[in-house]
Amino acid sequence: MNKVYTFISAIGKPFANFIIHLGAIINVFISILYSFVYVFKNPYLVIKEIYYCGVKSLIIISCSGFFVGMVLALQGYNTLSKFGSVSMVGSLVAISLLRELGPVLTAILFAARAGSGITAEIGLMKATEQLEAMNVMAVSPIKRVLAPKFLGGVISTPLLCGTFNVSGIYGGYVVAVIILKLDEGSFWSQMISNIDFHYDVLNGIIKSIVFAIVINLISVYQGYISKPTPEGVSNATTQTVVNSAIIIFALDYILTALMFK
Amino acid sequence: MNISNNSNYVVNLESVTFSYRDKAPIINNITLKIPRKKVIAIMGGSGSGKTTLLKLISGQIKPLSGSIKVFDEDIVNQSNKGLLELRKKLGLLFQFGALFTDMNVYDNVAFNLRENTNLPESIIRKVVAMKLNAVGLFGTQNLMPNDLSGGMARRVALARATVLDPELMLYDEPFTGLDPISLNVIARLIKELNEFLNQTSILVTHDINSSFKIADYIYFLGNGKIVAEGSPQEIKNSENEFVKKFILGGIDDSYKYEYQSISEYHSYLSRTK
Repeated sequence: MNKVYTFISAIGKPFANFIIHLGAIINVFISILYSFVYVFKNPYLVIKEIYYCGVKSLIIISCSGFFVGMVLALQGYNTLSKFGSVSMVGSLVAISLLRELGPVLTAILFAARAGSGITAEIGLMKATEQLEAMNVMAVSPIKRVLAPKFLGGVISTPLLCGTFNVSGIYGGYVVAVIILKLDEGSFWSQMISNIDFHYDVLNGIIKSIVFAIVINLISVYQGYISKPTPEGVSNATTQTVVNSAIIIFALDYILTALMFK
Repeated sequence: MNISNNSNYVVNLESVTFSYRDKAPIINNITLKIPRKKVIAIMGGSGSGKTTLLKLISGQIKPLSGSIKVFDEDIVNQSNKGLLELRKKLGLLFQFGALFTDMNVYDNVAFNLRENTNLPESIIRKVVAMKLNAVGLFGTQNLMPNDLSGGMARRVALARATVLDPELMLYDEPFTGLDPISLNVIARLIKELNEFLNQTSILVTHDINSSFKIADYIYFLGNGKIVAEGSPQEIKNSENEFVKKFILGGIDDSYKYEYQSISEYHSYLSRTK
């Protein structure tokens, strides 16, 4: 009988924890939405966050995008040449980036570069009683700290995704046209003729916005609930990256299934 | 001073009990009253529940049982909005200052004014300068918290906590880790601010000399209960063994200076047999 209890509690505890966290994260999300009035009245708070998590991520995002585009072009060229369709390399690079790799990789990189930073900052503010100090001064930390960071991140991520895509396409151009001597005209013309703005570009942007909301919500939430100890902050930072990665991949499948029938 | 005859109380705790999770109560059925415009010291050893008491008064944590009234308002059953409104009337000096590390000294002190008033920046600038001047730190406006010493950070935090001239000031171990000169400066500032701003001050500390110098009344906590109370003179003359040992700094074999034995420890021992 003891084994049955152990088995039930082994399943029940993580499930109960999941439900508790889900409820808490929705609660935080609603509080953040309520705080938008305050945030719009103090736009400098959001601008500061856009600088820290958006502008400062530009280099890693554009470099990664550039190399991803190069790899796509190289692999695409090698495969398509077997079928005599090397002129399609431009389309392959652009569609891969716009529909999938751009939003997904930008979200993963953002979670690792900026999301973990957001979690660590909020966690350390909690550990050094700065959030409590705000509370005691009758200022809600969700309104003053979490909401601007969330909104700054949500604005930055789709813009970074655009940067990733542009860098990726340019990386593909460098490999296909400059290195592999593919005709420049066919590279661009095939790309233009095979890309639909609504179907490819807009769906990619929607994906990126959804990912942005999820990553930034996880980042601020993990920091807010972290234990006020070095280990607690470190654990929260890891959780941000791990949870974001898993949820992004799962959401990507769902969104792809809904968008590209 | 006969505290029980004073009906004009800012804080009123009735049979308050509190424990962290399912541990032994850290505050055990405490009743105390804080009169207006006085400096009240809450003293006791480490882990005696002093800071917890301060957190209960500021509404940061809720008691398991009992009632807490601050400015005649029940803070135990207060809504979040009501609690935020109430907190506009109180200031809290944290043990290590809790300055906002991403803001300079000026922005730290101005924070409360910007968030809770509609004052124009020109007035805020003057108030901040005045407050920094009061704590002897005029001219440090552009320094970051990292550039300040422990004593300076504590004084900036004091300027920030008193910037709205709160009616009730709570000080959490304001003398910890300070050299004797800084310690006396902080003690003098607390007394002066209390007098000039007509505040009520609650001072949580285990620094005997400073609290005897500036407090009007002292509560002594031990094992979650009030073991002694009275004016500094009464405390000095107290016959309570714990208080005597605390003041003289001696070692008392009868006093258990250890964590109270708990059930988990016993079950651990039985498991390891």
